[in-house]
Amino acid sequence: MDINMQRRSQVEIIQLRGPLRLGPAVNEFRQALDESLSNGDTRIVLDLAEVPMIDSSGIGVLMKSLASARQRGGNIKLVNPSKFAVQTLRMVGLLNLFEVFPDADAAVASFA
Amino acid sequence: MSDAISPTPAPGTGQPALRPQLSLAIPADAEQIANATDAVLACLAGLKVEEEKCMAIGLAVQEALANAVVHGCQNDVSKTVQCELSCDDQGRVLIVVADPGPGFDFSASREPVVQDVYNDHGRGVFLIRQLMDEVSFERGGSVIQMWKY
Repeated sequence: MDINMQRRSQVEIIQLRGPLRLGPAVNEFRQALDESLSNGDTRIVLDLAEVPMIDSSGIGVLMKSLASARQRGGNIKLVNPSKFAVQTLRMVGLLNLFEVFPDADAAVASFA
Repeated sequence: MSDAISPTPAPGTGQPALRPQLSLAIPADAEQIANATDAVLACLAGLKVEEEKCMAIGLAVQEALANAVVHGCQNDVSKTVQCELSCDDQGRVLIVVADPGPGFDFSASREPVVQDVYNDHGRGVFLIRQLMDEVSFERGGSVIQMWKY
């Protein structure tokens, strides 16, 4: 899992590359989100364009972090999730909990 | 291979008619799961299985292996999880994953965790049931058989 983090307009943009699955990938993803949230960065944009697969452990980290961000007045918004990632989130009934944007600029702007 | 992992006949045929394509035995280590899933995906690609079907099977295998490693083996790397892939003449794919654990109450996993959408676990078997066309458990839940048509 390749994780790239950048900050723009007080929004943390986390770009993931590779399958998000139990093991190192999910551990690194959890660490990135925990780091952002513990720094008080609760406005998060998650770029999933290059994540072909998300398993239930990845979804678990995502949902726990979403709850944490929202409890602190923030949110996690998704950018361009792959077709299969969208299908998976829909299957478990969670897709409608997220705002989904076609690109990071639009997602960042939505926090303004 | 143990006879406990022997697959059922292909559905609707009454005959096994299955061609084994891949047999894996991995230590119960969460870090090994992705490699095993990738081996399954590579095997499916070699069989010219369409991409959407590959992804569904791949995620189901990932979930089944994760259950076997984490719940069946309690992350005990001295234990082994088996994964077998077969296909029949009609292109249907059978995956069998077996662990040496005591099994689990698979009847309780037919619905997603709707009480708390923010829960960080409890979706794996539900996902498998959604992704695959036919799912059954044996040996108290320590063996899962999954068909994708």
